[in-house]
Amino acid sequence: MDNDSSTSGDAEIVGQVVAGDVHAFEHLLRKYQNLVLIILKKHLPYDQIEETAQDVFIRAYQSLPTFRGESSFKQWLSTIAVRTCYDFWRKHYKSRELPMSSLTEKHQVWLEEAISAQASQSFHEQSLQKEAREVLDWALDRLSAADRMVLELVYFEGYSLKETSDLLGWSIANVKVRSFRSRKKLHKLLTQAIPSPDISGLDRGSTT
Amino acid sequence: MNPPKTEHEVLQAILRKAYSEKENVEVGDQWQQKVMRRVRELGALQPTPSFPEMLEQMVWRLAPVTCLLIFGLAVLFAFADFTSGYEVFQLLMNGTEELTFALFAGL
Repeated sequence: MDNDSSTSGDAEIVGQVVAGDVHAFEHLLRKYQNLVLIILKKHLPYDQIEETAQDVFIRAYQSLPTFRGESSFKQWLSTIAVRTCYDFWRKHYKSRELPMSSLTEKHQVWLEEAISAQASQSFHEQSLQKEAREVLDWALDRLSAADRMVLELVYFEGYSLKETSDLLGWSIANVKVRSFRSRKKLHKLLTQAIPSPDISGLDRGSTT
Repeated sequence: MNPPKTEHEVLQAILRKAYSEKENVEVGDQWQQKVMRRVRELGALQPTPSFPEMLEQMVWRLAPVTCLLIFGLAVLFAFADFTSGYEVFQLLMNGTEELTFALFAGL
């Protein structure tokens, strides 16, 4: 019921903005800024969040006349936010030089400990999150923009194939294939980062 | 008792946790003002025209070209000689068995 009234309220505000009331857009901005920030924080580097958040809302504002209300405004805005993140990575990967640096020794040790059989729960709990994030960023930076987005949405955030295909505007088959391949690539990257025969089990797990 | 986790599952759990931690970074609160400033600069939105409106716009856009075309064709017809065309038409109608390609082509 609340969701319905919220949706109709959003549609009303959208109508006002489209009719020329620029200031009404501030209601939508305030209401959905956290939603957009949460999406951007997950997908983008810290220093890019504010600028991209501005881009998301400007893009949403300019696209408002095309909003038909077939989905909720929240869903529509989430789609814009995710696609803006994808566009960011596409531009980023085009302009960057190919990263050649391998994992530092500290990260290699961390990775080795993280996936060793003895580690399990205790390591999981005490694990240094900073190292984990750095290793994750290092691995994700070596994937393509499309692989990165699919991996983050399906593998880390747990979105279904249908939801991911809606968010990115791709076919379900494309998402399915890319999700499988990107997971394989991630595991290959991580297993190759530490040359040890003990971690070959990663590939076994990835095929499920 | 839970079965022991595979290396893959352990690593996946750690990476997922690291990924979800990204949500906790703090972001400034100045960007909203910048958004509204840019929105005001952009001004009021132009609603997307409906199909009849789009058609009307297209008709008016093509009107000068159509007028020029009509004028050009009128001039062409005014100065054109239709006699030879009429003779060929007569030939076709009256003596199709005598009509050869050479005759038809005016050779």
